[in-house]
Amino acid sequence: MRPLTEPVLLILLSLADRPRHGYALMKDIETLSNGRVRLSTGTLYGALRRLLENDWIEPFAQEDASREKQAYRLTSAGRKQLEIELDRMKQLTRAAGIRLRAREV
Amino acid sequence: MKRIYRTLLRLYPADYTALFAGEMLAAFEKAAGENRTRGCAIFVRFVIAELTGLVASAASEWIAKLTTDGSVRGRRLPDLRMMRPVGVPRELWFAGAGADLHRSPAPDDVSELQKRAALSVSRMTDAIASRDYERTRALSYQESREREKLRLLQQKPAREE
Repeated sequence: MRPLTEPVLLILLSLADRPRHGYALMKDIETLSNGRVRLSTGTLYGALRRLLENDWIEPFAQEDASREKQAYRLTSAGRKQLEIELDRMKQLTRAAGIRLRAREV
Repeated sequence: MKRIYRTLLRLYPADYTALFAGEMLAAFEKAAGENRTRGCAIFVRFVIAELTGLVASAASEWIAKLTTDGSVRGRRLPDLRMMRPVGVPRELWFAGAGADLHRSPAPDDVSELQKRAALSVSRMTDAIASRDYERTRALSYQESREREKLRLLQQKPAREE
């Protein structure tokens, strides 16, 4: 499986705790990345379209939902993909740590 | 600024715009309002990033539309060809008559519909014989729509009486 792109990973991470709509996702992603990543609306909705097509996220009906405030939430398939990606990153971080320590000795 | 953004949204494929344009515009307005308060330089950088991002994203959406199978894309995006045009009655459209508006005039009598249904069955037999199952499915769908139209047409005089 190919590694997830950074926008996709951040969107999945942002939706991991609760459903969010577009602007809330943009804000949360900025917070998650310490202000390093600011997604434009074009990039965000392009990624959302791909995630919807893959069934990794789904529209979520909110009580006060207007059409412009459509929220999205993770599906079980999306959560699984996120877990796989985080495991891959953990393994890579462990391997990198071992290599760096070996260099120091 | 909103007008420019709205104009650039027209660069996207129609099915994408139908689903996301409202949300994108709302998110852009909120983000623009917030960035405006952060200072002129930040706002200008935000606007440039948004507008160039929009053009680049529209191009990649067209590529995605042209290279993605319709059945995959249709999972979430609306198929605009299936939307009922103004003036076409609901029952006629959902019986499948609307799809024919793009191809040929709607048949107006029972015998014509019966001929079309029989022709679909004959073509379906040929498609099965040549193991073209995709075409078989399409013809099967077409035949069921013709039968449904036929049923509606045959019901009509009975209702008028």
